[in-house]
Amino acid sequence: MKCSACAFEAPIGKFRYLYNARIDSSITMRQCPQCEQWLAVDELLGEAKDVVNPGEAPWGKSAGIEGLAEDVQV
Amino acid sequence: MGQSTARTEKESSVEELKNRREWWFVAEKTRSKRLDYLRKGVWKKGAIGGNYAPGIKIDLTFPQLFIDKWQEHEGEAIMLQKAHALAHVLDNIPIFITDNSQIMGYIGSAPHNIVWHWQGISMVNEEIYNEEGIIPEPEEESLEILANLNDYWGGRTAVDKLARVLDPEDAVKFMSGAIGWGTPTSAATYSTKDFDYIFKGFEAILAEVEERMEETEEKLQGNPSPEILPLYDKLPRWEAMQIVLEAGIRYAERYARLARTLAEHFESDPERREELLRIAETCERVPAKPPRNLQESLQFDHFVQVLSRYETFEGAWPHRPDYIHGPYYDKDVNQDKRLSKEEALDLVGEHLIRTHEVGIFAPKWAREGLQGITGTWVWTMGGVKPDGSDACNDMTVAYMQAARLVRVSNPTFGFRWHPKVKDEVMRECFECIRHGLGYPSMRNDPVLVANTVHWYGHPVEEARTWVHQACMSPCPTTKYGCQPMRMASATANCAKMIEYALHDGYDPVVNMQMGPKTGDPREFKDFEDLFGAWVKQMEWLRNILVRTVNLGRVKDPEFFGRPFLSAIYERAVETGTDACDPSNGDRGNAWVTGFTWVENADSLAAIKKFVYDEKKYTMDEVLDALNANWVGYEEMRLDFVKNAPKWGNDDDYVDDLMVRCLREVSRHSKENRCPSNNTWPLLPENVSGNIHYANLVGALPNGRRLGDALYDGGISPGPGLDKKGPTAVLKSCGKFDHVTDGRAFLLNQRLSPTQLSGEKGYQLWKAYMKTWADLGLDHVQFNMVDDATLRAAQKDPEKYQEVIVRVAGYSAHFVDISRKTQDNIIQRTVQGLG
Amino acid sequence: MATCKDCKGFFAREDDQDRGDCVMRVTDPRQAYYKAVPVEADKDASKCSSFRKR
Repeated sequence: MKCSACAFEAPIGKFRYLYNARIDSSITMRQCPQCEQWLAVDELLGEAKDVVNPGEAPWGKSAGIEGLAEDVQV
Repeated sequence: MGQSTARTEKESSVEELKNRREWWFVAEKTRSKRLDYLRKGVWKKGAIGGNYAPGIKIDLTFPQLFIDKWQEHEGEAIMLQKAHALAHVLDNIPIFITDNSQIMGYIGSAPHNIVWHWQGISMVNEEIYNEEGIIPEPEEESLEILANLNDYWGGRTAVDKLARVLDPEDAVKFMSGAIGWGTPTSAATYSTKDFDYIFKGFEAILAEVEERMEETEEKLQGNPSPEILPLYDKLPRWEAMQIVLEAGIRYAERYARLARTLAEHFESDPERREELLRIAETCERVPAKPPRNLQESLQFDHFVQVLSRYETFEGAWPHRPDYIHGPYYDKDVNQDKRLSKEEALDLVGEHLIRTHEVGIFAPKWAREGLQGITGTWVWTMGGVKPDGSDACNDMTVAYMQAARLVRVSNPTFGFRWHPKVKDEVMRECFECIRHGLGYPSMRNDPVLVANTVHWYGHPVEEARTWVHQACMSPCPTTKYGCQPMRMASATANCAKMIEYALHDGYDPVVNMQMGPKTGDPREFKDFEDLFGAWVKQMEWLRNILVRTVNLGRVKDPEFFGRPFLSAIYERAVETGTDACDPSNGDRGNAWVTGFTWVENADSLAAIKKFVYDEKKYTMDEVLDALNANWVGYEEMRLDFVKNAPKWGNDDDYVDDLMVRCLREVSRHSKENRCPSNNTWPLLPENVSGNIHYANLVGALPNGRRLGDALYDGGISPGPGLDKKGPTAVLKSCGKFDHVTDGRAFLLNQRLSPTQLSGEKGYQLWKAYMKTWADLGLDHVQFNMVDDATLRAAQKDPEKYQEVIVRVAGYSAHFVDISRKTQDNIIQRTVQGLG
Repeated sequence: MATCKDCKGFFAREDDQDRGDCVMRVTDPRQAYYKAVPVEADKDASKCSSFRKR
């Protein structure tokens, strides 16, 4: 897997596992051992999708019931 | 004219802030100048993401004063030795009066200090020595004081002594940190307090103690017999009670003296001078004598809480302040018109602030489990009187209103809902929730009164006096109902039950054989074999925790000693015993706190469906995937998450398993007995244990990996896994009996602030609450802050210092909790009502 | 030798003139308050940085 921030390449297991973005999605957060950047990783594809900074939701939306409340993003 | 224009501008700006739901600015603009000063003056004591805020220092004056006298009285009965040491502290610790304040008392020698109780646990003492940032300057001198203190207390603390009598195997397993947490000692504890008794005043209690001592001395002079022998041990205990009660009175008098000095020599503002003289008069009156008005009752209450916390780390605050102080409010505000509503609100708001500012050092693991706060100080509101009539009063409303003005994350409220609660009070509860405080939590009073009678046999009139013993568990505030010690140190990491059932009792995370060998799951014939293994692991896990706490409780009077608590416990005063001595009539009110509980039902359901019913995967494949932490098995993992039944969707397949698990635990709860020979029911909840245990629970068949947060509530569905809406969640939770299937069950729900705005929002919430009550659930609590605000707060924490969220059985400022906990809260499903 | 009783911040106790409170004004980064520390009237104050002669 290649780090989206510093291009460091190593097998996925070398990137420290942090936690899942949500349990029913294949997106997780891992940390690059070289630049220590948090990454959003697609575990199904084994690819780093993006860097994750505070305030950003790698899954893009909250876990919600679609269409029932305004805050709930579809 | 000018004033009127200014007011109009202020009002319109407040309206705009309300429309934008910027409740923290609404509070700032609407509270009195006094409350604004006091609120902003508080030093934040809860750890921020696990670390103390800059400027917070550990108090070294307190231990130095204590140890001086402690060593002088070496060799005396522990309660007496401690009483002398405490009295010396109370006579000599620096005290202070903050500008604008009206309620006195603080634990520590300066507002930025936090205390700790070095007589509890050596490991904590060592942790303080190594904790960066909290050692007072000059650091070298402070470290020397700490080193000397550690040298003296090493091997002498309550837990050190307990460790010597514990079964070594139990001790090693407990200390692994994997199966549970807690400190089976009243050195880290909390206690119910009976204010009907305490408000008699310390002088009246002293007279009672004196009478008992005279009677006893007379008996000792009489005919020698085996019956009189235990009386010799009672005399030093009563003497200890006398010493601390008298010291408590002198401590209050020191504030009275300072207030008079300030009024006479320092204060130029006539209004503040009057206040200082009133403070002096109040502190001369209480706690020596019964309170006569609201200021005296609040002050008496606070002195008792402060004195208790000088004695030990009381990490919770079992209390029912609206019920206790309501009659004084009524007399002052409604009858005598001595106080205006605004003046009363200032006192009530300050009561919240004085409580909020209390800081006691907690070790790192406890700070992770209770992020952002010092302890779970859940105050109980509402409910019924012993005769069953509505107990809500003007103080209930005043506390709710004050909470919205001062917006503290601790204490929080738990509201005892019952069918006779008036609409105006329900609206006050809703307003607090709508303002994003995350509290009050809503408790179903009829269910919990019945539950309290069912599990422990408390008489119904006593059960109706209940307060939250910590976050969730009701406890009567009566002579034999009060619980003097944190029996919930039997706090189980329940996800280990299924993990051990799948690993033959072996813990793959800490690499140790923990539970009994229940067999290789590959050889299980059917689901019943797996379930049988789960039952055995569950029983083992509960047993090890319960027997440790039982032993700690019985040994506590010998290893720790509670002179002050004993002096305010009627049954201890009457019998000349330590309050924690279970032989003095304590009826028992123990419970096992069940962290990480729901994973069991979801994991069992997934295996039942895929391995045994559909035979889609073999047990071998499941275990391989778990052992690999699902790495390389992502498709299979998603299948387990998305296509296995999940709790909270009104699906009988998994809900029936949840009920079955609870019934097994209930059966076993009656087999486990506390030292008062009463039961040990389960109480599923998490505080932030779901984050703490994320790195201690391995991969599970519900689809989580080692490292992922566990589910957040006690019976809350997994975040994002409740797909069928709020009523389905309630229906699942209503499938078991909240009276007989456990002690209480924590349910977190997130609601949409925009959907619940205005009158329509209130009516929607009320309808939801009716369904909740009809289904017989005992608890629910709400977060009502939108994702956008929470994300913005993560990005720019400085601007969102005052955003409060409900974490679990407590609330915290969002910016004070770790990123992982923040994300976990955002992951929770926002429920649309209606 | 300067003693506590010679200081402006010393207030003797009514019930015992040999003891009293050392009262000080403190302003910390968040709040202002008056602090009282019990002292002996004859305690040596020559090295006290808060000493203010009466």
